[in-house]
Amino acid sequence: MADEMAVEARPHPVAEPEPEPEPGPKPEPEPRPTNHAPYPIGSLGVLVAGMLAVLVGRHVLGDRTGPAWLEAWGAVFVAVCVQALPFLLLGVVLSAAIAGFVPARLLERALPRNPLLAVPIAGAAGVVLPGCECASVPVAGRLIARGVAPAAALAFLLSSPAVNPVVLVATAVAFPGRPELVAARFLASLATAVVMGLLWSRFGRPEWLRPRTPSNGPTGWPAFRASLEHDVLHAGGFLVIGGMTAATLNVAVPRGLLKSLAGLPGVDVLVLAVLAVLLAVCSEADAFVAAGLTSFSTTAKLAFMVVGPMVDAKLIALQAGTFGRAFAWRFSSTTFVVAVTAATLTGWWLL
Amino acid sequence: MRREVRALLHILLGAAVLHISLFSELYLRYVRRGLRPYLIASGVLLVAVGLVGAVSAARQLLRPGHDEPDAHDGPDAHDGPDAHDGSEGHQGHGHDHHGAPRTAWLLLLPVLAIYLLQPRALGAFTAQRSDSTAVRPAEAAGGFAPLPATDPVGMRLADFDSRALWDSTGSLKGHRIRLTGFATPGPGDGTWDLARLTISCCAADASSSKVVIHGADAPPEGTWVEVTGEWQPGGPSGQDGAVPALTASQVRRIGEPENPYE
Repeated sequence: MADEMAVEARPHPVAEPEPEPEPGPKPEPEPRPTNHAPYPIGSLGVLVAGMLAVLVGRHVLGDRTGPAWLEAWGAVFVAVCVQALPFLLLGVVLSAAIAGFVPARLLERALPRNPLLAVPIAGAAGVVLPGCECASVPVAGRLIARGVAPAAALAFLLSSPAVNPVVLVATAVAFPGRPELVAARFLASLATAVVMGLLWSRFGRPEWLRPRTPSNGPTGWPAFRASLEHDVLHAGGFLVIGGMTAATLNVAVPRGLLKSLAGLPGVDVLVLAVLAVLLAVCSEADAFVAAGLTSFSTTAKLAFMVVGPMVDAKLIALQAGTFGRAFAWRFSSTTFVVAVTAATLTGWWLL
Repeated sequence: MRREVRALLHILLGAAVLHISLFSELYLRYVRRGLRPYLIASGVLLVAVGLVGAVSAARQLLRPGHDEPDAHDGPDAHDGPDAHDGSEGHQGHGHDHHGAPRTAWLLLLPVLAIYLLQPRALGAFTAQRSDSTAVRPAEAAGGFAPLPATDPVGMRLADFDSRALWDSTGSLKGHRIRLTGFATPGPGDGTWDLARLTISCCAADASSSKVVIHGADAPPEGTWVEVTGEWQPGGPSGQDGAVPALTASQVRRIGEPENPYE
């Protein structure tokens, strides 16, 4: 199912001015060779019927509520989706703007050809996207579709949710009087992004990324609108998958279990790194969560904040939707290893 | 997926977001207050994109011969194959250029959850399954600010926990404290905790603060109460996961606060 979708510049956007009806005076009364259901029934009809059913269902349910676990699951599910939506839309709008208004040649020229230079520059450019990880996935997908080297775009994808000013300020607020932790987060995240970009340029195979049609489609407002609608539906569906995963793990994994593992030296870094993947906390809030995990070492908290914006349940789903499953699992597992290593080394050095 | 269906999906999703953010305060059950303007903007954007799509779909429908995919070879011809949502030939890389995958239907789930399930804010279920976290405040080094002279002193549960566990001067002593939270069954038989959840971004990152209540019978699980009483020192201070205690002189039932999180 995931293989069906691709973020790509679409050569035939919906918004294309409609073609003139066939020239000629006659209004074409001939019967057409239909091989599908007559128009009014179909997905639209199902959707409208479903809406009516919901209205009735709400009335029937009244004030009744489900079991406690379902309520908790639902609350976390809605929370993850609703919280991520503005950031996802920010990314989608930016991505649509790139599709519509930034010439592909400009992007190709903006970065040096040599990946040794391009990857660090792209990683550092993550500073400019003031969002969380949901915003960076559509933008990175669009950059690749517009001809940016995947290695550079992936470095940007990993670094931007962790090194932008909003996230760094949040980290400083969550850990007052600990500026070295902010520096450590910045360095470890940037290092992970650059290492992953270089790894991709050395070992990555283009066929792992979903094939895209060349972006020679129309530009301007039609392309903007078309890619906006397209990306919302593509990324949105996968955000929902991520939200369901995060909610399930959130409700099912007992926190006490983690605590009992906290005392083991060396293991605690891994435990919080795994927790970051499971919880899928937004990168703008993860510092506050990390600050609350008081029984863990500072290096473990750092690992939580480095891994979280790069690999988590919601993000893996989003990446699978944008780049394909073959890419998502390879990339996420490698990133996890690199991020944990970077956090451990940085923590050992700075903290 | 047909164009008008895509438009309707956008509108439904946008309407659901506006339903909880603009037309009600329901969003406070799920995310922090500061996100409201962004939620409203997102809802408006989604509805606008959906309406634009709907208008252009309607214009196309009103044209004669609209549902004849091969009748014109403009870009709209691609809506033809989209109509067969499940057709096999539609799988794989031959993916159309402006259809949407069937995963897009999943966007209906949050809409359904918001309208049909209307999940309440996280409460006793979550608090019972997590340890109490008392964040050591930065001001602990310079001592806590003195408590106000009012009687009783209304406090956030998280602040009470911080002072009880980390304040070596014992500033809570000799004050009557008033705390607001919900009743949560305690670890022992018949014991109960007053609990409150704190979120920093959304309900996925909720952490709980708890206080063991002595001297009062347990209200039903999840009931919102206002407890007035005195701090009961004891137990090791400054220990993570420790739960401070309060001897209640009064327990009053209240309705759920507008913002269920602290």
